[in-house]
Amino acid sequence: MGVMDFLMQGFQTALQPHNIFFAFIGVLIGTAVGVLPGIGPMSGVALLIPVTATFTSGMDPSAAATSSIILLAGVYYGAMYGGSTTSILLNTPGESSSVVTTLDGYQMAKQGRAGAALSIAAIGSFFAGIVSIIGLVLLADPLSEMALKFGPAEYFSLMLLGLAAVSGLAGGSITKAWMMTVTGLLIATIGIDAVSGVARFTYDIPVLFGGLEFLTVAVGLFALGEVFKTVLHKEEDTEKVAKVGRVIPSRADFKESAGPIVRGSFLGFFIGVLPGAGATLASFFSYISEKKISKNPEKFGKGAIAGVAAPESANNAASGGAMIPLLTLGIPGSGTTAILMGALIMYNVQPGPLLFSDHPDVAWGLIASMFIGNLMLLILNMPLVKVFAKIIETPAKYLLPIIIAISVFGVYAVQVTTFDLFLLIGFGLAGYLLAQHDYPIAPLVLGLVLGPMIENNMRRALTTSNGDFMVFVQQPISAFFLVCSVLWILIPFVLRLKGKNVVVNVEG
Amino acid sequence: MKTMKWKKWLVAGVILSSLTACSSSGSGSNAGESDYPKKPITVVAPSGAGGGWDLTARSLSKILGETKMVDQTITVENKPGGGGAVYLAEYATQHKKDDYKLFVSSPPILINNLKKEGNSPYGFQDTTPLAQLTKDFGAIVVKEDSKYNNLKELMEAVKKDPKSVTAAGGSAPGSMDHLVAVLPAYKSDIDPKTVKYVSYDGGGEAIAALLGGNADYIATDASAVGEYLKAGKVKVLGISSTERLKGDLADIPTFKEAGIDAEFTIWRGVFGPKEMSDSAVAYWDKTLKKLNESKEWQDELERNGWEAEFKDGKEFETFLKDQEKQVEDLLKSLGMNK
Repeated sequence: MGVMDFLMQGFQTALQPHNIFFAFIGVLIGTAVGVLPGIGPMSGVALLIPVTATFTSGMDPSAAATSSIILLAGVYYGAMYGGSTTSILLNTPGESSSVVTTLDGYQMAKQGRAGAALSIAAIGSFFAGIVSIIGLVLLADPLSEMALKFGPAEYFSLMLLGLAAVSGLAGGSITKAWMMTVTGLLIATIGIDAVSGVARFTYDIPVLFGGLEFLTVAVGLFALGEVFKTVLHKEEDTEKVAKVGRVIPSRADFKESAGPIVRGSFLGFFIGVLPGAGATLASFFSYISEKKISKNPEKFGKGAIAGVAAPESANNAASGGAMIPLLTLGIPGSGTTAILMGALIMYNVQPGPLLFSDHPDVAWGLIASMFIGNLMLLILNMPLVKVFAKIIETPAKYLLPIIIAISVFGVYAVQVTTFDLFLLIGFGLAGYLLAQHDYPIAPLVLGLVLGPMIENNMRRALTTSNGDFMVFVQQPISAFFLVCSVLWILIPFVLRLKGKNVVVNVEG
Repeated sequence: MKTMKWKKWLVAGVILSSLTACSSSGSGSNAGESDYPKKPITVVAPSGAGGGWDLTARSLSKILGETKMVDQTITVENKPGGGGAVYLAEYATQHKKDDYKLFVSSPPILINNLKKEGNSPYGFQDTTPLAQLTKDFGAIVVKEDSKYNNLKELMEAVKKDPKSVTAAGGSAPGSMDHLVAVLPAYKSDIDPKTVKYVSYDGGGEAIAALLGGNADYIATDASAVGEYLKAGKVKVLGISSTERLKGDLADIPTFKEAGIDAEFTIWRGVFGPKEMSDSAVAYWDKTLKKLNESKEWQDELERNGWEAEFKDGKEFETFLKDQEKQVEDLLKSLGMNK
């Protein structure tokens, strides 16, 4: 039987009424999970496992596994759709993969273009979802082989390229962007080191053993920072409430977003395949590369629709790509896929090299349901855009307490410590002060995400090579990334030496 | 039409917020209550998903739930880092009275407390051992097209040039996978400190490194390799058991049969917080005994390729004290003790 026959069988499974229902419930809850900060896709999926187990308890094991994984996967990619909403409307990223969406999304909302931003995010996510599922069907095997070739050296160089590219996130000064990146890397070292188990910068304070939680830092810097700014500069703002303009993106918006959506989808899919790299890196990379190739890079950070379209497509495509190592190798590439894997194991379905031959109904049923689920999400999300976009019309005196409440609730729900609430306020103040002095916040967050991955992979690579740094240039893929990183940093300098005006280097 | 959507939205919101309420409960002390458990229970696997702890935690919560031995919902949480040390630090300090948080552990809880580098200030003394559930063994695994066909060949290569062979495992240096990886070397008169060992986050990543050619051999749990062996992706060179295992691994020699005089048992058990209330300890003592006697649990063990070995709380604690001595001796001989 060919791939198409399997896929048709998959559709037969996925189109059974109860499975359509499960997919619908999954994407519905997923959208809500994505919208609410504090409940990321990971905790959302984890919380629903016992619920789905109850739903499916009367079914035979294989059908139960299929139905529940359809629901849980729906939550996963549904959350990727919904994740952009608070980033755009409230400058509050719900998860790491939508941090970069705040940069232009929130600016668009301030200009009254929230509707267009939300719509384009939904459309981009839909397109990316379909691209990644087709990729999953056609390329699962070769790509899983490729993902395995990524050893510590390759990961290190890829992450380094991610860091080198932070200049793309710089608002005005590239020096400030670098300072923020290094700060992020330093903050990332707090906690018990995962390679040696040694405690670093913990001063024997147990709450620091686990390091600083990413979500606390990001919500503090972005959301509370914005709250402080609005409170402290109220007079200057003169209460100008942005009107929600048209909800449907204009022709020009579509024209501007088409390229970023397509490129973001492919980039996101391929990065998603790599275990550990994931949606966050995919969204950062796609944003940065759109800015690089854009004819109007100065528009980015000031409400460019491409700056919403690209990362939102990329993070959704990455969630599809991440299914490849999970299904074909039994290797979860992210926290959420790890939990999905746990759910499959609970039903005695072992993801891994034998999944497609031992349980074709589960694997193909899931893939087919992802087509259906993505379609549902688009239909579900477009009307909601109008409702959500209204949020931005709420006057600040009502909106600010709401933002504070969701931030505090979200952080406490994840961490359950008051320490994190103090941390939240501290980073809120820091976010305000940094923004006042034109220090970009996104590089700090990127440093925090990439820091541990860079460090661990570098140490693994060096152990393997007996301490020989040449390992990073001897591996062709790794060398390629390193060359890219160097060029990325050098080219603007060279251009400037030649007297050209380069946008990223314009000071202040 | 519009109201319909609002209703659906509302339903989702209600479901979701009730779920969140469940997740955020579970802290605080409820000592001395006889109606235990009256809240959802969390079983923590102090590692990423897919490894031995994770599978044990998930099987445990699944069977307890399916057989209705425990009425409350049981969720599994993954808390990776530091070979279990990160979570133990959190557990021993922040949850020492929380009757609703259990966790699954194995020899690393002893090893981390005894080793010199990356020492964990906390050990099993900071918990209440509830029961040993299973035993597993270490396995030395190479890729299917590896030039090494048996343990002796592999060890000879390590002996000749330790720098040329990369070992990997899912836990930090000085922890269990590392001990299993160097044990055959140590017994072949190779200085265990020269064995090149790379640690990954969990057994899943270690297997990925092996399949991708980024490690020459890995040490991992015997129960986790069956699937890859069946698919023809790996060769298993030896198992650290005293006698041959059943099932998928029946054809694999033990370390002894492969000419290495060593053995290593990976026990797995459930632990509660140090200051667990008496009623909760009594509840789990009774429930876990009942679990062990149930057919469902025995079937689950067989499906996972685990060997049953049950010890109740008291026996388990005595056993742990014994094991602590043995691990200390092993670490000493490796020059890695505290």
